Amino acid sequence: MDVISIIRPKVTGYDEEDSDVEMSDVEVNLDKDSGLKTDVVTPGELVTDDPIWMRGHGTYFLNEKTYSAVAGSILKVNRLLSVIPLRGRYQPETGDHIIGRIKEVGHKRWKVDIGGKQDAVLMLGSVNLPGGVLRRKSESDELQMRNFLKEGDLLNAEVQSLFQDGAASLHTRSLKYGKLRNGYFVKVPSSLIVRSKNHSHQLPGNISIILGVNGYIWISKNVSSNFDSTNSKTNKHEAKLVNHGKEYNPGQGTLSIPKLEESSWEIYSDKNDPDISESIRSTIARYVNCIKCLSHCEIGITEQRIVTAYEASMAYENAGSLIDVEVMENIGSDVINGEKMRGNG
Amino acid sequence: MEVYSPEGLRADGRRWNEVRNFKCHINTHQNSSDGSSYVEMGNTKVVCLVSGPMESPSSGRKPNSSSNLTVSISMPSFVSNSRKKFKKNDKRIQELCIFLVKTFEQIVIMKNYPRTIISISIVVLSQDGGLLPSCVNAITLALIDAGISMYDYVSSINVGLYDTTPLLDLNHLEENDLSFLTLGVVGKSEKISLLLLEDKLSLDNLEKLLAIGIVGCHRIRDIMDQEIRRHGNLRLSKITNK
Repeated sequence: MDVISIIRPKVTGYDEEDSDVEMSDVEVNLDKDSGLKTDVVTPGELVTDDPIWMRGHGTYFLNEKTYSAVAGSILKVNRLLSVIPLRGRYQPETGDHIIGRIKEVGHKRWKVDIGGKQDAVLMLGSVNLPGGVLRRKSESDELQMRNFLKEGDLLNAEVQSLFQDGAASLHTRSLKYGKLRNGYFVKVPSSLIVRSKNHSHQLPGNISIILGVNGYIWISKNVSSNFDSTNSKTNKHEAKLVNHGKEYNPGQGTLSIPKLEESSWEIYSDKNDPDISESIRSTIARYVNCIKCLSHCEIGITEQRIVTAYEASMAYENAGSLIDVEVMENIGSDVINGEKMRGNG
Repeated sequence: MEVYSPEGLRADGRRWNEVRNFKCHINTHQNSSDGSSYVEMGNTKVVCLVSGPMESPSSGRKPNSSSNLTVSISMPSFVSNSRKKFKKNDKRIQELCIFLVKTFEQIVIMKNYPRTIISISIVVLSQDGGLLPSCVNAITLALIDAGISMYDYVSSINVGLYDTTPLLDLNHLEENDLSFLTLGVVGKSEKISLLLLEDKLSLDNLEKLLAIGIVGCHRIRDIMDQEIRRHGNLRLSKITNK
């Protein structure tokens, strides 16, 4: 029995592939990277019928065969086979530097929205309280939890561990983590953030940025505090960009204990700095729009690219004009072309 | 009006086994949802938004035994010719929602999403028959776009019976005149996950209807798959670009 369907002719040069033909290759060259399909798999598609593969995320197992459960690309790590979805909510992993928003104050814990499937948990025991690291948490701390962090506060933290069901437990036991102030919050798809060694950067224009792995981004005025950070510049470009003497690198500084002791209620203050100048504000707005450009063009967001986009955006005098779709695409292509020109595109 | 002419043509010029123009897009509302889709089956047009999996508002308090999948359908008054107002708790719409929830609870791998909810909302832009099938197809696409793991596609279509001839993919006029069957099929298999018959049909005709319906669903599934792959390859090419 035949069914005829009326569809408009496709313009794209997509040619349907016969998955059965490709599947036969799987057994032949298992150890080669070419063994598995490299393009997109869709739910219900047979990934492999070889039982030697371990089944990871995004797959399911039925009658000795492994099928894909999501639309995405296949990832193999040794014998572990998983399918990475093209889109999806952020999945926390231990060690991720993320930004979250307090959603609820509970019993000895905060519930934090991190844009994932479940809310993360920040235990009272995993934050630094005024009075230094070695301070013990008392009952009175439990009662005044809302004075430290309350609903709606933004903070940056690290994923300490994961629970059985995939929910994250966070900690802020370092001075580079904690409450966020003096800045602007942007949200992008988490898939655009590339995991790297450092997620907080200094940008030209006296701006610092934290690229949370969960796709939450914080752009703020550079806090020029009165200590020199003992960081080593690995990135030449970065070193070139930051040309003022005293800088505070939230992601890179290591501090001695006395410095920590000094940290007081100030770290949980709700007040922005009074002296955020007009120019800083407009620079932040420009960076925000640059990030939105990158996100619109679905370009992975890295420090380098943000700087490139920022430089490209200087062609438009008004930062507000960057939200125009045409302008966004122009800047996106500028970034890609700029990278190609430099030979790392 | 003649539903099916002796020459074998239907009122809109299709043959008995022809599906209406089927058009679908995914990721249409990327900023306002986790997954979104747009499906057009002839003149029936549907937008579907999926948000989730996300923390359920009442989690932790009590283990809620009810479903963690919710479906809501909104029908503006302009969807059909009659400009009828649809209330939010319209019985008919609520019934459709229940069918959809029951279908997709079986298809989504719920064990991967403990203590979370997935909320699906559908907006019907235009209604010309085959509302339930287009909702099923739209939800399938939106769930895939949201990266939610599911066992397979569900594709759906309706089949009516004119005398002894099965007619595939009825439009609104045909739906009014004929008794018809809505069925949803899992992937390329012959497993039926949704079967709805709201009026009478003689049993000996059922097999015929199911057979053409399944083939029709497979065709719809192929078109959806093609769109997903097109979109996926586009995305992947952008990622390698970075």
